[in-house]
Amino acid sequence: MKDLAIIETILRNRYHFFNEIREGIGLPEKMRAMLVSSIAFLALYGAVMGSTHSLWQALSSAAKLPILFLATLIVCSPTLYFFNVLFGSKQSLTQNIALILTAITVTAVLLLSFAPITLFFLLTTSHYQFFKLLNVAIFAIAGGMGVLFLSQGMRVVAASGQEGTSARRWVLRLWILVYGFVGSQMAWTLRPFIGAPSMQFELFRQLGGNFYANVLVSIAEILGFVVVK
Amino acid sequence: MRKSGNQEIRKSGNPEASATEQILDLLLEALLERQAIRQAQEEPGLDRVAPPFPVPPPAVEPSAPQPIAAARPTGEPEPGEEGWVPPPPLSSLNLGRTLGRLLLALAVLVVVINVPITRYGTSLARLMPDTASLVIRDGLVLKGSGTEIYVLENDKLRWISSLEAFEFFDYRWDQVHVVDDSFLEKFEKGGPIHVLLKCQGSPHIYALENGKKRWIKDIPTFEAEGYVWGDVKLVTCDYLRRLPDGPPIPEDAGPPPQP
Repeated sequence: MKDLAIIETILRNRYHFFNEIREGIGLPEKMRAMLVSSIAFLALYGAVMGSTHSLWQALSSAAKLPILFLATLIVCSPTLYFFNVLFGSKQSLTQNIALILTAITVTAVLLLSFAPITLFFLLTTSHYQFFKLLNVAIFAIAGGMGVLFLSQGMRVVAASGQEGTSARRWVLRLWILVYGFVGSQMAWTLRPFIGAPSMQFELFRQLGGNFYANVLVSIAEILGFVVVK
Repeated sequence: MRKSGNQEIRKSGNPEASATEQILDLLLEALLERQAIRQAQEEPGLDRVAPPFPVPPPAVEPSAPQPIAAARPTGEPEPGEEGWVPPPPLSSLNLGRTLGRLLLALAVLVVVINVPITRYGTSLARLMPDTASLVIRDGLVLKGSGTEIYVLENDKLRWISSLEAFEFFDYRWDQVHVVDDSFLEKFEKGGPIHVLLKCQGSPHIYALENGKKRWIKDIPTFEAEGYVWGDVKLVTCDYLRRLPDGPPIPEDAGPPPQP
């Protein structure tokens, strides 16, 4: 419960929070609290998603969703750090990771806030493709808000190094794109999170295709253009 | 000089001057004024020559975009800029506790919707009929309103002819999707799926169908029916003898021999 209190600081007193990251105040405690709360929120949302298929899928998604976000963090944070350093940033890698964790925590708490809606649709509709697209939309909204926080945080934290501010802003914008691509590919690699109802439970589905093509096919099926085989 | 001449004309205010001349004079004045401004801008080091008449401030088009920096109040640093001070912290709403409760409530709900509530082990989360959510693929097991169970192979529905066949091919009841008959009608019917039985001490092969064994007369018949040797299941001869006889394959093959 103590770790969850950090959410209030991030959501209501974000500039204080970012300022403390800039000053390096209590970074390990902050990171631990963010990690614990994001894992809890993401695991619960994963369990909600997987419940459409089976109990095993619910457990599997509860484990895989936090892994998805943390693995993306591990893959992407060095790029942001070194490019920022290249353009004159004085932030440490820990500060960078703390900022990305802030984005993940915001995403996670927003996903949790969407969980009752997801549960409602889970119980009242059985259209797999619709449920999948609903989740894609929810993740896009929550992820978008998360990176917005990251962008605000980066502006505050990076203030100590004024040199190359404009270049670093561009680095952040491009990094957000890369983060989105890596995240979606990671999600595709770790799928299924929902589980097609006609298929047996699998921890990982055979690779093939890609996230974007699959979303387009789902939209096409909902609109009645194709039948997924 | 031209300048003084113009002033003279202007000052004299000749009432006989035509409207065209007046317009031309105004144009000339405007041109001279503009030239003076340009010269002053191009030669900042030189002493500026005062325009011959009061110069109005350069007109600013109302639609011209203003630079963003100019719109901001000066002296108030942006977040992160030098001299910026974060706003005073807001009072607590006990959001941590609220989140904890929401987390707990959702966790309980997730458990509840995953508890099996029907005798078939279906939970609340998977109670909705799932015709619309099927991903059509080979191996999909379907059942309509009747008792027949089909498996989809190469876009054809193949009837699983017996419980033995169902179990022999490792199908499970939780794989069976109950769908509308109209959904089944969309697909062409393929050959039925049988289980072929044979015992060690007998050369005869039987197809199991609806709990009865049907003797397959010979190898050409076996092959003509599309059976493959891999489908033949070895059982004990006692088990085979206990099974009631069905019509042989083909039906005019005569009385079926016992294994």
